[in-house]
Amino acid sequence: MMVEDELAMIDPENEDFDPETESEEDEEEQQVVKLAEPSKTAVYNRDGLLERLADISWPDDLDWTHRLNIDREEQEEVDVNDDLAREHSFYTQGLEGIRQAYANFHSTGEPFLRPSDYYAEMVKSDVHMEKVKSRLLAEKKRIEESEERRKARENKKLAKEVQAQKMKERTKQKKQEIESVKKWRKQRQQSGFDKEDASGLDLAFDGGDANKPFQRSNKKRLGVSPGDRSGGRATFGGKGKGFDKKRKSREFRDSKFGFGGRKGLKKQNTAETTNDFGAFHKGDCSAPKNKRTKR
Amino acid sequence: MGKKRKHSETGAAANENKEETAVERPKRTLLGFKDGSSTTTEQQQKESSIATFRNKEKVLVTCSRRISYRYRHLMLNLVSLLPHCKKDNKVESKDSKGATLNELVELKSCSSCLFFECRKGKDLYMWMAKCPNGPSVKFLVNAVHTMEELKLTGNHLKGSRPILTFSSSFDKQPHWKLLKEMFMQIFGTPKDHRKSKPFYDHVFVFSILDDHVWFRNYQISCPHTGTAQKIDRGDLEKMTLVEVGPRFCLNPIKIFAGSFGGPTLYENPFYVAPNQIRSLEKKQKAGKYAKKVKAKTRRKMHQLSNPLEVDEFADMWKE
Repeated sequence: MMVEDELAMIDPENEDFDPETESEEDEEEQQVVKLAEPSKTAVYNRDGLLERLADISWPDDLDWTHRLNIDREEQEEVDVNDDLAREHSFYTQGLEGIRQAYANFHSTGEPFLRPSDYYAEMVKSDVHMEKVKSRLLAEKKRIEESEERRKARENKKLAKEVQAQKMKERTKQKKQEIESVKKWRKQRQQSGFDKEDASGLDLAFDGGDANKPFQRSNKKRLGVSPGDRSGGRATFGGKGKGFDKKRKSREFRDSKFGFGGRKGLKKQNTAETTNDFGAFHKGDCSAPKNKRTKR
Repeated sequence: MGKKRKHSETGAAANENKEETAVERPKRTLLGFKDGSSTTTEQQQKESSIATFRNKEKVLVTCSRRISYRYRHLMLNLVSLLPHCKKDNKVESKDSKGATLNELVELKSCSSCLFFECRKGKDLYMWMAKCPNGPSVKFLVNAVHTMEELKLTGNHLKGSRPILTFSSSFDKQPHWKLLKEMFMQIFGTPKDHRKSKPFYDHVFVFSILDDHVWFRNYQISCPHTGTAQKIDRGDLEKMTLVEVGPRFCLNPIKIFAGSFGGPTLYENPFYVAPNQIRSLEKKQKAGKYAKKVKAKTRRKMHQLSNPLEVDEFADMWKE
């Protein structure tokens, strides 16, 4: 507790610098330590105090301009540990004080505030004020930047949401369209339209296929490599229909191994290919390349 | 003219018949007691007393040796705030007791003294004394913020007279009353002091909170409208305060009748010395290990005295 207190004393930087919301832990700590109840032996010489007061005090009828004091009636108790409330009460005391002082000065016609063209030495030097200003500016900039960052983050979040919404809508629309087409067909079927001119339209919307209109059929043809668009027919030209049995195995082997021999051998790594990183584009692709070029 | 006088005048108007016969308590002035035989002479006397009154307050500001830099800066801040002060060299804290300091103040022809005493490099005590024979107060200073801190953004003329505002709790008890009078005399710049400036652009706030005196210094900032140097009512509403600093919080410990000594008039019944606080804390920390050992042995004893009952189902599944 006290160590913290000392740190706060030594290091002025460890406080929050906003004048309104500073954390003054050192003060709090000081407030906490206090006798629970007043000690009985404490001296309190009321008469002596009043006597001394009478001794030192200035004459009662002294002009106010000598004293410049203003008393302020306190409205309510302020919690000491509530920094904000405490500072606010001080501030309002000061503000009300100067308002009253202004009224007093106004009645006597004395100048009050410093005119703007009156230059004289100030309590804080210009160098110091420059520092204060730069600090304020830096603070402002920092706040603005963080605000911007926060906004960007929020925008990103929002964009994501919007995107998701759009996708949802799109799928919904698609579903709806499909639904409507189904409905339309049903209607057509019910009305008996289809018998007459089925040939034209029914090809397009044929049976179960209509449910998944643009899907590739999942049927795998035997002996056809997945990339082969011709369905394995390209591997052999037009041949007679008589050699059905032989052709089947031939077809299989051809499609498996290709026409010009086994493909597998070509695909295997060799000494050169293992050392070749030229086509390697994962992560930091530039580093190995550079190494190679250096060599 | 002052408020008080007006008040007395109105009072006089109320009972003008009894005025001659009423025996008033003699009032003190700087010139001595005055006898209120008739209002005209009283007024004349008042006038003369006002004319002759001259505030010749001069404050000696010093500190003890081995003061830490933060407290030294606080002292320097106060020096810059009080144009009627005189700063002196550090005083050896051993011989800072009573007589030497009084001598020093007299030597510098000052009428009051602010003495900053730093102990152990961490606790700051402030003595505030009216010097030849007036009372003196010893404070513990907490929560020090100096003017150099960058969060205090205000600035004001050096040497302009401050307006002193006091919270109303200063009038509640005699010791606060005494403190208020002392603050007013020591922190207020004398009128027509040669180093003072003719304008008022800052305000000192003395406030009592939790039996501590809190000090704040604010700049009065007012948005200027056009070329006019006079302020009108509208501007008054727009007036704001900007804190200049320093800030500190004074915890009164004792009030003595003499300067730097003499019989005690007041003693803070709630005061705990920082040394005591620290020792208490240390004691608490020191007890930690002993407590642990004790707890351990106690636990052991407890376990021995209350052995666990043998569980009848313990080897049920261990066939």
